[in-house]
Amino acid sequence: MIVEDGREVVIRVRGLAKSFGTHQIWDGLNLDVYRGEILAIVGGSGQGKSVLMRVITGLVMPDTGVVALFGQDAQTLAPQARLNIEKRWGILFQDGALFSSLTVLQNIQVPMREHLDLPQSMMDDLAFLKLTMVGLPPEAAHKYPSELSGGMRKRAGLARALALDPEIVFLDEPTAGLDPIGASEFDHLIRKLQQTLGLTVYMVTHDLDTIFTVCERVAVLADKKIVRTGSPTELQSRPNHPWIKEYFCGERARAASPTEQRRLIGNDA
Amino acid sequence: MLKRDHQLVLPTQARAPGFRVELRGTTFRLVATGAWTVAEAADLDKALKRVRVPIPPTPDFTGEMDIAGIAEIDTAGAWLLQRTANAWAKGGLRTRYRGATESFRILIEEVHRRGQAERPEIERSHPLEKMIEDAGKAMTGAGRDAVQLTEFLGEVTAAFWRMLKQPWRFRPISFFHHLDHAGLRAVPIIALICFLIGAVVMQQGVVQLRPFGAEPFAVNMVAILALREVGILLTAIMVAGRSGSAFTAEIGSMKMREEIDAMRTLGIDPMDTLVLPRVLALVVALPLLTFLGDIMGLAGGGVMAFGVLGLDFSTYIDKLHETVDFQHFLAGMIKAPFAAIIIALVGCLEGLKVEGSAESLGTHVTSAVVKAIFLVIVLDAVFAIFLSGIGV
Repeated sequence: MIVEDGREVVIRVRGLAKSFGTHQIWDGLNLDVYRGEILAIVGGSGQGKSVLMRVITGLVMPDTGVVALFGQDAQTLAPQARLNIEKRWGILFQDGALFSSLTVLQNIQVPMREHLDLPQSMMDDLAFLKLTMVGLPPEAAHKYPSELSGGMRKRAGLARALALDPEIVFLDEPTAGLDPIGASEFDHLIRKLQQTLGLTVYMVTHDLDTIFTVCERVAVLADKKIVRTGSPTELQSRPNHPWIKEYFCGERARAASPTEQRRLIGNDA
Repeated sequence: MLKRDHQLVLPTQARAPGFRVELRGTTFRLVATGAWTVAEAADLDKALKRVRVPIPPTPDFTGEMDIAGIAEIDTAGAWLLQRTANAWAKGGLRTRYRGATESFRILIEEVHRRGQAERPEIERSHPLEKMIEDAGKAMTGAGRDAVQLTEFLGEVTAAFWRMLKQPWRFRPISFFHHLDHAGLRAVPIIALICFLIGAVVMQQGVVQLRPFGAEPFAVNMVAILALREVGILLTAIMVAGRSGSAFTAEIGSMKMREEIDAMRTLGIDPMDTLVLPRVLALVVALPLLTFLGDIMGLAGGGVMAFGVLGLDFSTYIDKLHETVDFQHFLAGMIKAPFAAIIIALVGCLEGLKVEGSAESLGTHVTSAVVKAIFLVIVLDAVFAIFLSGIGV
């Protein structure tokens, strides 16, 4: 276990480099994820935000660099040890990545069926519990993914990611493609689940509203590495990088920022 | 998973989960210890099911879930506790929790609240009922397909008629592209399979006819069969698999990405640009390929005749002249354009029926191939009846 500043580091990434063909996306990327935090990874298109998530979760191999998961080096893990670690996280892919031939309830039960030996009635009850916890209506239980809206698919995907009560959840653009009301509901859901289940949340996002409402810490991916980490308001008040300045101090960011909203409300009064 | 000391957990081995039930004064207590997590849930579930629900002798008995000894808990553990508490409450014991940390309490309350939701029943119908329903659906589906295909034939004919009146509507680049893909590129495979089948039929024919001393007639059999049936059928089935599916996939993926809607809004008729060039290209290509198939079938027969009968090339040709009439050739050839129209129409229509998802594309490609091959064989049978009826 790695401990820094009194907090447990659940994921530590050091000196990561990765190229696709001749295009190098990172060179010497470092990142720490602490237990119990909600971390947002932001960065321009093509900076490899989603790829970083895939590298951490082992779907993509880096060229060089070390990824430590719960204090263990991911590259030297035996397959069984790796599986044990994989059971400790859940991943929500962009469009939910639900299995199209299974109903929502069956989708949520897939990880339980694969990794645990639970009686069917208990799996039904637990899956149903997860389904209601992510805010899906009970009628959605026996529907197929194709019968659900985009927002419901994401919720169902989140329920499946939570099936084994993981310690970390990875969210890939959780609010992309949702309408503003749906996105804001999803933000609150993430916050609520994080508090209820004591989750560590690793989130790839573009959404400034999400960053300002739920994220405690933001890591900015630019110039082939993580150029800065800090709370959203910190980054906004002291941007020391042109991209951060443009992102956190642009018009959209000012509208989303709580300090700015306070200022506007104050002026109205 | 929630741990008792939330900030920093020392890497001690989590104690094995367990519980005991005891009666202290007028309180039934379930004292739970260790890690109540999903990984342990199966064992806990079994053990909890063995515990009888305590029956309070008088109403002033209460229940208590003492979870002060629980080191780790997650939704599965909370659900097990809550299920037990509910069972006790139903038995008349008012049950409360003791020793929960703030985070444990939030989780247990959430699980309790979510557990109240009404669960929908799955609609289950009798298997026989379902079978009859499916059969009915299949029948109406087949009927609907026939109507749709006829409608589509009408639309394509109308579009063709429009094109004849306004020849600038014709899309030569598209037409030649499909002629290349569906025709020229199919040459090697069709030549090969027709050659092989011709050879195989000749060999089998000789083997079967030899006991009657009639093996020279194998040449007649191969010649008639190749020209009337094998050439066209093999070619049409091959083209249905190659090009019919390709038409569905191309048009279907355009439909999926809303390209066809975009075309319509730009004033481009998909009938002119997508359907007609494909239909026309196949109507030209399939007879040519059938001709090739006929020749290769005969060639395969000839090679095998040399091998097993010892007929040399010129004798084989002479025998062909004796047995084969031009009408045999025509009887096979006449079917080719009709088969082409069927394959192209089915392929394009299935492509246009594709909806937004990738699964839909997959099912329509499959059904295009199946329907096209089925209809080609039906067409062949209809022609066989018709041609024998008029004595050809």
